[in-house]
Amino acid sequence: MNKDVIVIGGGIIGCAIAYSLQKRGKSVVLLEKHNLVAGASGACDQGILLQSKAPNEHLLLGIRAMEMYKELGRELGRDLEFTQKGYMLLMESELECRVMDGIIEKQRALGLPVERISADEALRRQPGINREEIVGATWCPWDSEVNPYMTALAYADRAAELGCDIRTRTPVTGLVMEGGAVKGVVTPQETMYAETVIDACGVWAPEIGRMAGLEIPIRPRRGQVYITEAVPLFMRCNLLNARYIVAKHHPELLAGDHSLKAQLGVGFCMTQSGKGNVMFGATREFAGMDNRCTLDGLREVLAEATRLMPAVKELNVIRTMSGLRPYSPDSKPLIGFVDGVPGFFMAAGHEGDGVSLAPTTGKMVADLIIDGTTDVPAAASFNPNRFDLRPKAP
Amino acid sequence: MIREDEDKIYVCRCEEVTVGDVRRAIEAGADSIRDIKLRTHAGMGVCQGMTCRKNIERMLREKKIDPDACHTSQRFPVRMVQLGELARLVKEEQHE
Ligand SMILES: Cc1cc2nc3c(=O)[nH]c(=O)nc-3n(C[C@H](O)[C@H](O)[C@H](O)COP(=O)(O)OP(=O)(O)OC[C@H]3O[C@@H](n4cnc5c(N)ncnc54)[C@H](O)[C@@H]3O)c2cc1C
Ligand code: FES
Repeated sequence: MNKDVIVIGGGIIGCAIAYSLQKRGKSVVLLEKHNLVAGASGACDQGILLQSKAPNEHLLLGIRAMEMYKELGRELGRDLEFTQKGYMLLMESELECRVMDGIIEKQRALGLPVERISADEALRRQPGINREEIVGATWCPWDSEVNPYMTALAYADRAAELGCDIRTRTPVTGLVMEGGAVKGVVTPQETMYAETVIDACGVWAPEIGRMAGLEIPIRPRRGQVYITEAVPLFMRCNLLNARYIVAKHHPELLAGDHSLKAQLGVGFCMTQSGKGNVMFGATREFAGMDNRCTLDGLREVLAEATRLMPAVKELNVIRTMSGLRPYSPDSKPLIGFVDGVPGFFMAAGHEGDGVSLAPTTGKMVADLIIDGTTDVPAAASFNPNRFDLRPKAP
Repeated sequence: MIREDEDKIYVCRCEEVTVGDVRRAIEAGADSIRDIKLRTHAGMGVCQGMTCRKNIERMLREKKIDPDACHTSQRFPVRMVQLGELARLVKEEQHE
């Protein structure tokens, strides 16, 4: 079989890419080892977050992604449960407020409507928060939500309607290499050829990279979450705590903290799905490829959620879930052709932002492959060649 | 006529998913319990599929599809539990 492009991986990133390329007239086959959204995209939260973006071209990228999501349901012909309830970032100390004030000022200068609000105002916007634990909050009405697995499936279904060949239960077990270039892929059923092979395998991207003799620096960062029964409107807006955003700018804030909570990287987030299920989490742990929930992880997440949002104690939990975020060393995905390996294109490493960035990633990949250039903001900072991808000498 | 009536039967009571919904999901390409869950929400309700799972598995087998090919993982908790109660249990356990 011969195609223009082979996309490996049927998560939200692979599905968005397959759709974007097929829409622009490329012939595409998408290969997924298990079923669609078998990885992180089937075990994640729904946030399209702008407040968490650094006040530079990355914020502009986030804004573009949010704007694309506004139109996406119509484009794909399906309700993706996109809503814009906004996010509040809870702050627990004066230091956090100071740091966030600095960030907000720069974000506002770039056009993001984000503001500082008092603890009382935070409680008015979202009843049930623990007034004793917070000193203030930030509020951004542009932060949004979307159903991640429905988005991925809608991308895949629309791509298929346009002629994309989607094959589930089809693992890529090897690459066809010729003189250092990638010419195709091997699966248990057949060998396929294409001009371009895209590695969109999330945390499994390094396995495909190794088949091309590359060392891809992506590591799994596990996230454990709780899901409650569906209830009437409980979250008027979405919640997050500011701790990890502040820590990005002031690492010393976390450096002295050796508690289990800190070791597991527990950050607080709480949202409610379109169906009414409240979801909260989450850990941010390096625990290899093990994606099970753990007693320690669930305990710490529960303690943090009931501390900051005691009202959640009234709800019944029906499920817990965990997924592996594709972490890259500088928290940015690797998107682009790999130098020295013609035909091989990377598109993985979105860590906790893959849902937000799926539409812009799809567009960026199609632009780069078809036009050789793109107007997607921050695209240059995702160039995979910023890392040394050649294997280190043993 | 018979098929139309059958299509209206609820196979997942918690999420109000009918036989017709599941049939349409299979037609759209769903070939595992997990696919059906993601496309119809059958199994996402308060009983987490304890009631409907067997019936959906049977529907898949009738279509000659192995329902276990992509199994869904069983996760904590086995039965619905109130979070306040859970938090209290955790505290007690830690004080022992
Ligand atoms: C708890 C949690 C909460 C999150 N919350 C958010 C959020 O609120 N907002 C947000 O934007 N992001 C969030 N994320 C991050 C988001 O889930 C990920 O960034 C995103 O899902 C990554 O998508 P992906 O397609 O790159 O990877 P995946 O979804 O993991 O897809 C990779 C696919 O490749 C397949 N594959 C692997 N090996 C092979 C092979 N050899 N051949 C063929 N296929 C193969 C796998 O089966 C898998 O389906 C969260 C993540 C977690 C875990
Ligand atoms: S009957 Fe299907 S989840 Fe309860």
